[in-house]
Amino acid sequence: MTLDTGTELTPVVKEITQEKINRYALAGGDGNPLHTDPEFAARTMFGGTIAHGMLILAYLSEMMTAAFGRAWLSGGRLKVRFKAPARPGDTVSAVGHVVRAEGGRTVCEVECRNQRDEVLVSGEAEVTT
Amino acid sequence: MPPRLDALPKGYQMPPSTFELSPEWVREYAAAVEDEAIGALDEGLIPPMAVAALAVRSLLESAELPPGAIHLGQEMAFLRPVRLGERLAVQAHVASRGERQGWVLIGIDLNVEDGEHGPVMEGRALLTMPAAQEGEP
Repeated sequence: MTLDTGTELTPVVKEITQEKINRYALAGGDGNPLHTDPEFAARTMFGGTIAHGMLILAYLSEMMTAAFGRAWLSGGRLKVRFKAPARPGDTVSAVGHVVRAEGGRTVCEVECRNQRDEVLVSGEAEVTT
Repeated sequence: MPPRLDALPKGYQMPPSTFELSPEWVREYAAAVEDEAIGALDEGLIPPMAVAALAVRSLLESAELPPGAIHLGQEMAFLRPVRLGERLAVQAHVASRGERQGWVLIGIDLNVEDGEHGPVMEGRALLTMPAAQEGEP
């Protein structure tokens, strides 16, 4: 699938709950108490539990799968930085738009934002089609 | 007990490991991330981030993530679709390591291959974590 420069990708919107974070911790085998132990997390710079970065990236990947289908699975590249944590109670929106489409490569700027419009994750996703 | 991730030197090669994308585990993962897009593709394809998640899980069996570790950045390339039930192998090494003001900054390169050594996924994770204090293992 080819999308033109400027095309907005359909956002993926998810509610973050502690239960979802705990579920991801079990599936991902990542028992870092920063994610799952409210008492431990309260003593860190974050002041409470935060979602796993890989959970938030799964939302970006879902958006890219919806936009590009199998091409994302067989030629997708993602490069992101985590800017701020997603916390239980947050609504996270994965958004993106096409910034370049040429020579079979489509490059998108992608972000995850919370309900206060704070950027949690930003970077670039590229698909070879 | 596996070594702590923050204690590993640059160039450290983690023991290779294999993992299987079993239907039970994929169900567990899908419930956690609520991916609604993958179902629109061919039956049996799994979300590419599931491969990444299981590769990381496999790594965490050979290097302990210190409490309070923070994920700073991630690069990944998905090289081919993966189907339910596939058995994959992961190799990883410490690509970079620095220490500043009691925090360790570490880059981990990760490569996932199939049974015929065909590339499936590659990535680099950038993490920071509190350095081990004296007396800690």
